[in-house]
Amino acid sequence: MANTACFIIVGRNDIPIYEAEVGSAAKREDAAQLHQFILHAALDVVQDLAWTTSAMFLKSVDRFNDLVVSVYVTAGHTRLMLLHDSRNEDGIKSFFQEVHELYIKILLNPLYLPGSRITSSHFDTKVRALARKYL
Amino acid sequence: MANYLAQFQTIKNSCDRLVAAVEDVCDLWPTVKGLFEEHQPLKRAFLTNKTRNPVFVENLPVEFILTTDARLRSRFPQEQYLFWFREPYATIVLVTCEDLDEFKNILKPRLKLIVQNDEREWFIVFVSKAHPSNDQATKNVKKVYAKLEVDFSSKKRERCCKLDVHGPEGNFWEDLELKITECIRNTLDRRAQFYEDEIRKLSEQRFMPIWNFCNFFILKESLAFIFEMAHLHEDALREYDELELCYLETVNMPGKQRDFGGFDGEDDQAVLLKPGSKPLTQIVQDDSFREFEFRQYLFACQSRLLFKLNRPFEVASRGYSFVISFAKALTLHESVLPFCMREVWVITACLALIEATASHHHDGVVAPDIEKEFFRLQGDLYSLSRVKFMRLGYLIGYGTDIEKSPLNSACLSMLPWPKPAVWPSLPQDASSEVLEKEKTILQATSRTKHFGIQRKALPLEPSVLLRVANRRRASLSTGNIPEMFDGRPSFTEGSGLEASPRTPSSLKVQAPPMSRTNSSPGNFESPLDRPMRLAEIFVAAEHALRLTISDHDLLKTLSSIQDFENKYLNLTKGAAENYHRSWWKRHGVVLDGEIAAVCFKHGKYDLAANSYEKVCALYAGEGWQDLLAEVLPNLAQCQKILDDQAGYMSSCVRLLSLDKGLFSSKERQAFQSEVVTLAHSEMKNPVPLDVSSLITFSGNTGPPLQLCDGDPGNLSVTVWSGFPDDITLDSLSLTLVATNNTDEGGQALKSSAATVLNPGRNTITFALPPQKPGSYVLGVVTGQIGRLRFRSHSFSKGGPADSDDFMSYEKPTRPILKVSKPRALVDLAAAVSSALLINEAQWIGIIVRPIAYSLKGAILHIDTGPGLKIEDSYGIEMERYMDADCDTGASKAEVFVEDSPVSSKRDSEVLNLCDGKIVFSDWASNVSSILWVPVRALSEKLARGSSSVTPLKQDILEGMRTVALKLEFGVHHNQIFERTIAAHFTDPFDVTTRVANKCNDGTLVLQVMLHSLVKANLIVLDVWLDLQDGFIHGQNDGRPTSTFFPLVVSPGSRAAVVFSICLDKSMSSEGKDLQLPESILNIKYGIHGDRAAGAHRPVDADHSETDTEGRDLVFKSAIVLQRPVLDPCLTVGFLPLPSDGLRVGKLITMQWRVERLKELKESEAVEQQHDEVLYEVNANSENWMIAGRKRGHVSLSEEQGSRVVISILCVPLVAGYVRPPQLGLPNVEEANVSSNPSGPHLVCVLPPLLSSSYCLPVK
Repeated sequence: MANTACFIIVGRNDIPIYEAEVGSAAKREDAAQLHQFILHAALDVVQDLAWTTSAMFLKSVDRFNDLVVSVYVTAGHTRLMLLHDSRNEDGIKSFFQEVHELYIKILLNPLYLPGSRITSSHFDTKVRALARKYL
Repeated sequence: MANYLAQFQTIKNSCDRLVAAVEDVCDLWPTVKGLFEEHQPLKRAFLTNKTRNPVFVENLPVEFILTTDARLRSRFPQEQYLFWFREPYATIVLVTCEDLDEFKNILKPRLKLIVQNDEREWFIVFVSKAHPSNDQATKNVKKVYAKLEVDFSSKKRERCCKLDVHGPEGNFWEDLELKITECIRNTLDRRAQFYEDEIRKLSEQRFMPIWNFCNFFILKESLAFIFEMAHLHEDALREYDELELCYLETVNMPGKQRDFGGFDGEDDQAVLLKPGSKPLTQIVQDDSFREFEFRQYLFACQSRLLFKLNRPFEVASRGYSFVISFAKALTLHESVLPFCMREVWVITACLALIEATASHHHDGVVAPDIEKEFFRLQGDLYSLSRVKFMRLGYLIGYGTDIEKSPLNSACLSMLPWPKPAVWPSLPQDASSEVLEKEKTILQATSRTKHFGIQRKALPLEPSVLLRVANRRRASLSTGNIPEMFDGRPSFTEGSGLEASPRTPSSLKVQAPPMSRTNSSPGNFESPLDRPMRLAEIFVAAEHALRLTISDHDLLKTLSSIQDFENKYLNLTKGAAENYHRSWWKRHGVVLDGEIAAVCFKHGKYDLAANSYEKVCALYAGEGWQDLLAEVLPNLAQCQKILDDQAGYMSSCVRLLSLDKGLFSSKERQAFQSEVVTLAHSEMKNPVPLDVSSLITFSGNTGPPLQLCDGDPGNLSVTVWSGFPDDITLDSLSLTLVATNNTDEGGQALKSSAATVLNPGRNTITFALPPQKPGSYVLGVVTGQIGRLRFRSHSFSKGGPADSDDFMSYEKPTRPILKVSKPRALVDLAAAVSSALLINEAQWIGIIVRPIAYSLKGAILHIDTGPGLKIEDSYGIEMERYMDADCDTGASKAEVFVEDSPVSSKRDSEVLNLCDGKIVFSDWASNVSSILWVPVRALSEKLARGSSSVTPLKQDILEGMRTVALKLEFGVHHNQIFERTIAAHFTDPFDVTTRVANKCNDGTLVLQVMLHSLVKANLIVLDVWLDLQDGFIHGQNDGRPTSTFFPLVVSPGSRAAVVFSICLDKSMSSEGKDLQLPESILNIKYGIHGDRAAGAHRPVDADHSETDTEGRDLVFKSAIVLQRPVLDPCLTVGFLPLPSDGLRVGKLITMQWRVERLKELKESEAVEQQHDEVLYEVNANSENWMIAGRKRGHVSLSEEQGSRVVISILCVPLVAGYVRPPQLGLPNVEEANVSSNPSGPHLVCVLPPLLSSSYCLPVK
């Protein structure tokens, strides 16, 4: 189980459309901002790595002291980014695949505008449940 | 073999190139040495690498040394194999001989003795000294050389070449180079094989106790050195890589515990690029080397080779990984290393790598993607050194000057503290420095944020420094337990930064232990064991760092805040620049933000504003609002200080546009007050401001507003305000854009007065002037606050009414206004198309039919044309009109008439005409209605009858009348409809007369036919005729002969009455004037008709309910009666011709009889003579010859019946049918002359007879 984890979905225009602080550790007040900053900087690495491999799961693209950034790039260039300190690579991959399916269900909603913020509480609940299950 | 290490290193330092031995048999080397050295290094050497593949080496240097040289002579045989890399790689034998016998006897045996050693690679250079002019010597030299070749060269390999000192052959040097290269290649292969065999033997002992890494290292590096001397850098690099792997394996072996190293004087400076900084004998340890020095030595060797291969990128890449992994090794041994050894080493290592790789890098040499990767590595190295430098600065008390940005906070707060075995303690004589440091801490006050933002500062510590330093200190304390407990309260004071403003309270906390310590006489060491304050920690760390850092430049950068900031700024700029060049824009822009923070602190606001704008553009463009909220207040503050009003306004609007959770409502109100204050101030050059994210708008839900062309209206728009408070707009405009014509600009609608926008939803109503036909969508909302002109071009959701989410991405293009094309909105038509009675009061029906448009409040102007006037004494009736076909309409009208008393209040009304116009009632707004207007057609002309002889065509235009109608309707009476209605008026009857019969007594029977011209039943009550002069009535005195009145004439039918009249014979009375030139037919009649069908009863008859019959109508028509045309007074009769016929030349008597029928009138008698009649004979002179009088008077009595015969003689002149002579009476009108009997038209004339009077017989 990851002590610290921050999960962000970044749309194809580099705008974050979903943010969630998942993990079991007690959160500091300013941790969310630092986590967002680290994931934002990791986008530089993803833009180089995404075009060099055909795999969706990019594993560990960046490290920040003890924190690792894992990224999953969808076919539409939406990036699922996770900042974590655990070493459970298989669990992280499964987590990404499950969230990707949830994201596809969101996209199938005709009332949802691709690229806008995901405000579905059902989606949020499921993502947090998957985080507890796999991370 | 440890003693070999020093010797090995000495030998290695003295060798730097391959050696070729020169065996000078005939003392030729001084002569040819210059020539040999001119042609080195070898231009194109083909060598073989470790995997037996040919490698092309350019410019391979070779050193020529005589075999008698001291460097080759003084070596012991037992050492040759170990240091075999330094032995010669080729042996060149120099010989010369000009005598064949001398060669056979002396030189040949000596050469064979020299070359018998098969381990050496050799070849013979035959030097010829013969001058070309000496033919005999040349021949002898050739013979000797040919013999030499036969003896020493074999089929497999040529070992001889010839050098002519006076004129060498063209390919001699190439041949020499080939032979040297071949020797070197063979020797190299043999020696590499030897070393590899030895290495393999030692590797097999790797896990045995007798394993000695030094021996392995000597062999491995010898092999690498061989490759390096041969310029096979790839192979040399591979050897060093394998050596590194083997060494790491040895280091990680769990058996032995070795010293790490790093305790020498200048070990804090990284030497990873200087292999010779420390001799190997110094770092040797038992059978291996110290890790600290040896790993750097290996990396230095690898870097040297990579630089020779011209690959600085790979040096940077390996260097970064090496720094990371070596730092981990330093972390493992941190407790025994000097204080902050790891941080200092990393800084110096990164800076050395940056400098070395940058100097070896040349732009454009490598591929663009590799170049980008190179710059990224440079940026990473800069960032890494920057982080360590900040950590050092924080430890010595410069933390208050480090910007607490997300970047610095993330770097420092997630980096663990250094973990020395014992935290450095305070020196004895450092009290003054402690006081100085405390003063600095007290003076350092945090910069107050603009707008009063109370955002909590991000941490720069992974944990509380005060606790960490004192815990390590307390764990080694030798004091008693009560004093340790007394020191505990200082641990719970919070973070280190929060302790700085609470230093006075900290001093108070520290006071009691000190007093108690002094009061205890038995414990002398207590003052040294008390917990340190923050300032003391800083001073102690500074002193410890001075012992650790040996680099004077680095030490200087930490000596003062200014120097620290300069170094910090240089590192930040280096990182930012390299990240920008590697296209990692986020890393680069974030570091630009750090540069901006330093510029801001030093008052360089323009530079700070430029950098902050980049950061804000990055975060805003990508929608990372949490990060934008951190930087945007700084940009706003810079813009305000620089008096950039436009930028400052824009920043405040963007601050207001961020999510509400990022700032408190009080802060957002501050933003708004800044906007409003600046808007109402005197701005130098007001610029339009885009507030699309704050003020959004949408149309109201439901269908769009439907208007017709020319209609004004009111348009309601929902405007959402993102301002936290009410805001007053001086003016507000809305642009409508037509969707079918994108070239046309939108039309602006202005709100009438100042508008106050409340937070959230507002409904604004705009007055809408008439628009062109089309479909309109909302365009841009513009307005003015003070002198500020703003615009907003985004839409908010038109969803639920209570939704306040106006930051949606939805941009609906639903039309809000639709203006119909010009169409008929109303129709005015005549209800009756048939004719009405002229000169009588009649109802004109006007049908008013609205076409999907309301006629509420409509005004109808009625203007009659010439010959028509409105009967003002009666009102205008308005009724509901049934729009159906003619028959059904008629029947419904009848039904309607029957029901009119029941629903008169709802469906009919009497309107009064005021100033030529009437106002419609409300009930007639949406239904078809009919207006009955009482009018009278005026005509002064008297109707004229026609006779059967000359029918009179009726002129239709005579009965035409026009009514001009103008209808004003619409909400503001803006719609105008004009139409002119034509109405037909006519007389009730068309009168035609003819003479039916003529009696013997001169009485005429006159028939008068009446033809009905209207669609109504006409009831003829009485008819009488007033005769003109010349005629008198018969028996009935002007009345018809029959009396069948009342006579009903149906529409379109005919009726006839008969009158008896006589010619008036009393014309001879003199002095009587003509009183009546025409006859007048008078008809008294009534009419039964419906006004919906055509002619009807006059208007006043409807109102007099008591008088059912009403007033009788009188119709007058003029009739012209002419006297008979034929009225003979005289008659001329032609008397018959004789029966024997006419013959040419024969005289004939023609006779006419003239007879008087009646007396002439008095007027005619005056002109004529009373008893004579003038006659005249007319004949064609070519056909007739008249004998006698052609013209004359005859006496004829005036009495009736008198006769006279006129006779003339005439001779026919032409045979055939000819016209006979005619008798005419010139003085009598033709009307008064008749022919009875009439004469023939043609007569037959026979040819003349033959005459015998002129023929005499011959006797």
